[in-house]
Amino acid sequence: MGIKRESKRSASATSPCADLRAVYHNCFNRWYSEKFVKGQLDEEPCVSEWQKYRACLSEHLEDKKLKRFLEEETIVHSSMKAETKCGIVEQYAGSELHSFAPFQSQSAK
Amino acid sequence: MVRAYSQEYTYKHPWERVTCASWRKFTDPENKRTLSHILEVDTLNRKVDPESGKLYTTRAITIHAPGPWFIRKIVGQDICHCVESTVVDAWSQSMQLTTRNISLQKFIEVVEKIRYDPHPDNPNGWTICRQETSIRIKPLSALASMAEKVEQRCAERFVQNSVKGREVMERICKYLEAESSGLTI
Repeated sequence: MGIKRESKRSASATSPCADLRAVYHNCFNRWYSEKFVKGQLDEEPCVSEWQKYRACLSEHLEDKKLKRFLEEETIVHSSMKAETKCGIVEQYAGSELHSFAPFQSQSAK
Repeated sequence: MVRAYSQEYTYKHPWERVTCASWRKFTDPENKRTLSHILEVDTLNRKVDPESGKLYTTRAITIHAPGPWFIRKIVGQDICHCVESTVVDAWSQSMQLTTRNISLQKFIEVVEKIRYDPHPDNPNGWTICRQETSIRIKPLSALASMAEKVEQRCAERFVQNSVKGREVMERICKYLEAESSGLTI
């Protein structure tokens, strides 16, 4: 864990956020098991943990494609839209085990 | 050109516990050694929709996937970024994860879909996990001539890793079970 740059390992790009990430994931896991699975989802979980972690990510995430996911609030919205539109979440969470042809839609984008 | 395979597995734990374990699989530090191919997991986005009872999450998963030397030479890196999109439906009790690679896309496309549902034979006690993976070498890529071999190798790796993943899942489920019974005693 020196200052030396590891041979282009962008993998470690977000390690400055490791602590905030752990705090967030712990909080999330607790919320998931104590609230979400019991159907209690009126509150946004772990808001301050999430904001801090997310701010750190947007500062340190190097990969441009990943960054887009972080910035785009629409990832979630577009998949929700897709769902209300055609009854399935195709684009991002395509769950159809039987219609397994995931490749066309992506290159078309 | 596409290699696809599917697997099914039954966890003898309730859906709530198994899906908790799924969230923890990559993020609990004690699994790092078993799942050493997973380098980083970051949550990029999340959304709770109280109207529909759904949770949407997008995570970045960084995988260490070293191939044989000739592949490394062509591809030039052995780190691969993937994006995992998850939808969990708390009302109907289903969890669906879709993971695809976003780096190395000009060479290969891998899509992995996992679903966790209450097991029809024992909906309150067991969970069925269905997994489908498809691997496709891009036809015009530098790997095309050896596509079959690479796909095969890739598929083998996936199978190995999913066995490890199951072991970890079972371990976390046991741990969660002990924890919950500890709390109720």
